[in-house]
Amino acid sequence: MTDVAEKPNFITSSLDFLVNWGRTNSLWPFPYGTACCAIEFMSTEVGRYDLSRIGSEYVRFTPRQSDVLLVSGTITYKQAPILKRIYEQMAEPRWVIAMGACACSGGFYDCYCTVPGIDHIIPVDVYIGGCPSRPEAFFDAMFDLQKKIKDESYMKQRTERVKEQLEMIKAKTAEAKEEVREFAHEKVAEFKELVAEKEKEFVEQTQFWKR
Amino acid sequence: MVNVDEIFSVLEEKFGATKESKDKWTVTAVVPAAYLHNAVQFLRDESAIKFEMLVDIAGVDYLTYPNHEGPRFAVDYAFKSMSTPGARIRLKVQVPEADLNVPTLTDLYANANWYEREVFDQFGIVFTGHPDLRRLLNHVEFVGHPLRKDYPAQKRQWLSTNDYLLPALEKRLEVLGYRVVQRSKEVETVDNEFLEGSIKE
Amino acid sequence: MIVLDHRGKRQSLMPLNVGPSHPATHGCLRFLTALDGETIVASVEEIGYLHRGFEKMVERGTWQQVVPYTDRLNYCSAIMNNIAYCRAVENMFGVEITERCKVLRVIVNELSRINDHFVCVAAAFQDLGGTTPFMYAFNPREEIMCIWEKLTGARLTNSYSRIGGLARDSYDGFEQDVLAALDSTEKALKDLHACLDRNRIFLDRTVGIGKISAEKAISYGWTGPCLRACGVASDLRKDEPYYDYETYDWEVVVGTQGDCNDRLQVRLAEIEESMKIVRQALKRLAPGPIDIVDPRIRVPSHKLAYQDMEGLIGRFKSVYEGIRVPEGEYYCGSECANGELGFTIISDGSGHPYRIKVRPPCLTQFAAFHELVEGGQLADSMAVLSGLNIIAGELDR
Repeated sequence: MTDVAEKPNFITSSLDFLVNWGRTNSLWPFPYGTACCAIEFMSTEVGRYDLSRIGSEYVRFTPRQSDVLLVSGTITYKQAPILKRIYEQMAEPRWVIAMGACACSGGFYDCYCTVPGIDHIIPVDVYIGGCPSRPEAFFDAMFDLQKKIKDESYMKQRTERVKEQLEMIKAKTAEAKEEVREFAHEKVAEFKELVAEKEKEFVEQTQFWKR
Repeated sequence: MVNVDEIFSVLEEKFGATKESKDKWTVTAVVPAAYLHNAVQFLRDESAIKFEMLVDIAGVDYLTYPNHEGPRFAVDYAFKSMSTPGARIRLKVQVPEADLNVPTLTDLYANANWYEREVFDQFGIVFTGHPDLRRLLNHVEFVGHPLRKDYPAQKRQWLSTNDYLLPALEKRLEVLGYRVVQRSKEVETVDNEFLEGSIKE
Repeated sequence: MIVLDHRGKRQSLMPLNVGPSHPATHGCLRFLTALDGETIVASVEEIGYLHRGFEKMVERGTWQQVVPYTDRLNYCSAIMNNIAYCRAVENMFGVEITERCKVLRVIVNELSRINDHFVCVAAAFQDLGGTTPFMYAFNPREEIMCIWEKLTGARLTNSYSRIGGLARDSYDGFEQDVLAALDSTEKALKDLHACLDRNRIFLDRTVGIGKISAEKAISYGWTGPCLRACGVASDLRKDEPYYDYETYDWEVVVGTQGDCNDRLQVRLAEIEESMKIVRQALKRLAPGPIDIVDPRIRVPSHKLAYQDMEGLIGRFKSVYEGIRVPEGEYYCGSECANGELGFTIISDGSGHPYRIKVRPPCLTQFAAFHELVEGGQLADSMAVLSGLNIIAGELDR
């Protein structure tokens, strides 16, 4: 399992190509729109710019059905736990685009209530500048993201994940074994004490009746 | 046609109002906090021009204002008349730092509720008699009042949980005539890890 | 949760949270409802998810540096906010802007209003499940955006207005562009009315939904199209006219029912009125100076700065120190797309604002939200929300 899958061969690289082709051309965004950039995203979706040209046809409003978390707008401290929660609800593979100056760095709101960039909360793949970013810049970011996805290897990621999981399972098993052993030791010790006590009682009782 | 100045003179007579010298463009009456509620009720119901709409409530902190004499805080009320278009008047209540209490206007104007919550949130001025004085704009774990002049602008405060609204909902249900017998379970959303690695001052 | 109602009957209610990242909340509003089946029994709102500290940030800059911050209040019609702020400060100075500036401001004001109303109506359709009108409404919006790009250099957050004038004069061919945009607006309006007026699904979901009486709306401090939908003909452009709005031939649009459908219809009718104003204003647009000549207020032009000593000094001072607004306290409200946008300005006579408090029109409307949805269905709350047109940037500042 381990050695064979790590080496790229014809089958795995073709599979990578196929998977990446599918992923790059059907990036469904989850628009976490809070402020001005969300309005520009609306312009990107419709008519003139038409986001569906690059396969991001479906704007999904549930994190469970989307691939790209598109954070467009300022994130405040009041909102930060919600953004984090939504990111955690998304299924792998997931990517994050920080759209606009506010999402990248807090923008010109350097204040008690704004998070200075969402990378303090969640990892970000692509940053877009501008206040707000133009639709063209948004397309550029999508192309960058597509390039990034094309470089990823599905098989490699899979083996890594399997390895991680194996290690995790091993560690968990060892932990559990250790726990069980300790538990058994404790129980045996307890039982021994109990037996000793019972014996003592029994001896006392027999001595009583003997008298 | 009654002028706003005439209404001011009535206010002066009845409620001991004085003219705010800083307002050189419109009419602002400084009213003692004890008479505020009566003065507003007079403006809404009895005066020659009826001021049906409360336009705005603004808190002010005069801590760094040059050559300022008098109490540190002030609350600024703006009213507008619907029956006489174009008539506006502003009231002002001075609030000393030692006694941060101002009577509420929630029984007269429905929108006073949120405006007063905002002033409480930003300046810490307490509106006595307000039904539900909570923070409005800042989160529940926020300490301090950000728009006071002595609050540093970049003092950031992280929030560890989602805001929790169920107590407010129960309060609202009680206003509507329901009695909560069994509370619903709270959804725990504690993110302790969230605080790690964050920038804190 | 289990409750006893006023008759002592036991009822089981389900608390359901909506927002702050719900598609229909357009940003970040949140409300928690107690549901009996699908009927909303009680609802509480929570705001502040986009509280960006406008009022703290502006205290650190100069008076002119406030303008970009005002852009981001109501980002659907940014220019209107610029103008409302600049008007407040100009009133404090007690100066009158030039005639051409007035007319240009009226034109961009009304074009922004068209823009804003289109976003509201389109988003309302989108929330109710209709995608086509969304596309129709965004076509003229894109044309107006193109005008903004040519005129100001930015698509959305324009920062076009300055205290005492405008950032730059209009370009060659501005009038033709505006007329073309108006034509496409007219076409979109026709399409929208075809989708809207006799659409059974749309009418079933909006007529009689989220009703409010005029007294209650006034008590809640409603202004703008939402108040006018309740039948109150209150418009600051008529009541306290500025920029010669009273000399244009237009009418205040008033609804009858105060329900969700009325709010959207009033907006559509206001687009027509705005088009009327723009057409008349274009005829009045005569050549002339844009900025007032007063080094106290407006930065002297390059020409003056290079040729005149006083112009140079004025330019130097206004760049380094900023303008000094006379000491005092002032409130000024202007009619914006959502209602009265007011600025309470407190100046201590220095180059920095001492305090600026914004009176957002959305806040009062969203404060009444629970009155509108209680007793209705959960799905109706989306229609109500999009009819109110809550802009989070303005709501939370």
